Amino acid sequence: MEGLFYNVNNGYIEGIVRGYRNGLLTGQNYANLTQCETIDDLKLQLGPAYGDFLSSLPPNPSTSTLAAKTTDKLISEFRYVRANAVGSLAKFMDYLTYGYMIDNVALLITGTLHERDTRELLERCHPLGWFETMPVLCVATNIEELYNSVLIETPLAPYFKGSLSHQDLDELNIEIVRNTLYKNYLEDFHNFVNTDSEMAGTPTAEVMTEILEFEADRRAINITLNSFGTELSKADRKKLYPAFGRLYPEGSFMLSRADDVEGVRLAVEGVNDYKTYFDQAGMGQSSGAGNMSGGGGGDGKSLEDLFYQKEMEISKGAFTRQFTFAIVYAWVKLREQEIRNITWIAECIAQNQKERIGNYISVF
Amino acid sequence: MSGATNREAVFPTRQSLGLMKSKLKGAQIGHDLLKRKSEALTKRIDEAKRKMGRVMQIAAFSLAEVTYAVGGDIGYQVQESAKSARFRLRTKQENVSGVFLPAFESYTTEGNNDFGLTGLGKGGQQVQRCRETYARAVETLVELASLQTAFVILDEVIKVVNRRGKRSKPFLSLGSILTFHLVNAIEHVIIPRTENTIKYINSELDELDREEFFRLKKVQNKKQRDTAAQDAEMRAKREEAEKRGEKEDEKAGGGDILGDEEDNDVIF
Repeated sequence: MEGLFYNVNNGYIEGIVRGYRNGLLTGQNYANLTQCETIDDLKLQLGPAYGDFLSSLPPNPSTSTLAAKTTDKLISEFRYVRANAVGSLAKFMDYLTYGYMIDNVALLITGTLHERDTRELLERCHPLGWFETMPVLCVATNIEELYNSVLIETPLAPYFKGSLSHQDLDELNIEIVRNTLYKNYLEDFHNFVNTDSEMAGTPTAEVMTEILEFEADRRAINITLNSFGTELSKADRKKLYPAFGRLYPEGSFMLSRADDVEGVRLAVEGVNDYKTYFDQAGMGQSSGAGNMSGGGGGDGKSLEDLFYQKEMEISKGAFTRQFTFAIVYAWVKLREQEIRNITWIAECIAQNQKERIGNYISVF
Repeated sequence: MSGATNREAVFPTRQSLGLMKSKLKGAQIGHDLLKRKSEALTKRIDEAKRKMGRVMQIAAFSLAEVTYAVGGDIGYQVQESAKSARFRLRTKQENVSGVFLPAFESYTTEGNNDFGLTGLGKGGQQVQRCRETYARAVETLVELASLQTAFVILDEVIKVVNRRGKRSKPFLSLGSILTFHLVNAIEHVIIPRTENTIKYINSELDELDREEFFRLKKVQNKKQRDTAAQDAEMRAKREEAEKRGEKEDEKAGGGDILGDEEDNDVIF
């Protein structure tokens, strides 16, 4: 049924996004990139995919400008798709940007807390997370004003409401604020794709649920692992776990009580995928993450790498479905990974650390 | 002779020559040893610098890992959330033969983890690892800074004191500076001086030898002349005597030797 009228409104977008997906770098492209001796070579190799955006770069650009330029391409393409989107797809794409908005708002709150000139912060914000009222945030000079008159006007207001007061903004660590917002955002997004009349029961709901559940689990596991040895209490930690996902509720409960890596491993035991990742990454042994403190890391893949790999596989899988908005989400994630890959390879070339250049993730 | 000024005031005797020779030998051995030591020190500092290079490289790379894992810039957030310094320096003054040298000592304040929650959602482990690597890099930098300031100050002082700091080698520790100056002193002052003295003594001794030889020759000549004169005199006397004898023979006409003539009595 969902395919009957899908193309009326969204067929063009789907075509465009599938075209963009074909423009992603393939394994062969990456193999060529890793052979490069200088950043200029790399630039040349990227020519077919990124030509227009890289042409203005000076010879031997820094890796950060390279990353900025490749991000520019993603943003201009995203804006084009967004401008052509209507109805639920438009709403869906707005939801996609909320994640970046959270980062931007966290940045601005940090700036306001330290009484920085928030204008210069605007330049640092992620362009995908730009919203119309964002410059207004700069008007606020203190946290209470920011909370009462400005944040309420942003699309993120529902995520603040009920879980964060203006005192919280002042007292809590900004990372906790950010992760609380992100948790609310993920739950809201999950709810949106499963209840919106145009999406409920369609492949969109199906694919997006898988992606969002994975994202929720990944965040829960990461938060737990990263909170060991910090002042974050178990009760506070529990509040940051999204209330859905494959780990929810038993896994989340066990995560909230975990004291060490072993505890996390036990918590994820119920989900076979995550269990395999823990075994592959060599976590759960007594040494845990501490054994990689040599700076070089282990030669095997880390848990984060495996999560990224999984995310890319899910995103790739999304393109096998038709009549779904999820391909837009998948395309953005794939492009982000591609930018990270390019930055990584450029970084390895610039720092002459060729032995780890193969650490990128390529799924095509 | 390269200046009688640049040698030790000794009498040119064989005994002092022996003394000088053993002194030269000692200086050369000492010079070799010190040179080896200073080279070893230079090597150590060289190693320290290389280590710094390596550590900085690893640190820069771990930052790249963070960028990869977090997928964005965390610089601003880290800057803002850092409230008090975790890595601190203690400075002390060390008195090295009248020169005050600053010495830096690094220490970390435990339990101060301002941005421990950075990257909570993703990349937190990389952030912490990167922080550790950079802490180590800063430690190496502090070590080098200590050595370097000490060297610069000492070098200045030594330059002022004896104007001999022309072979200044940066980034050396105190011990190696002193060794360098010692090596310099032995190489450029003590060894040439002793060599000059030996040359001087040798030349003086040769001179004496030649004088002695000449004197002996003179004596010989004189003696020869004297003997020749004596010989000639003797010969002349003998000839005269012979001549006289002949005359008497002629006069006596070969008189009877045995009895004709009366013998003079021999009186004792």
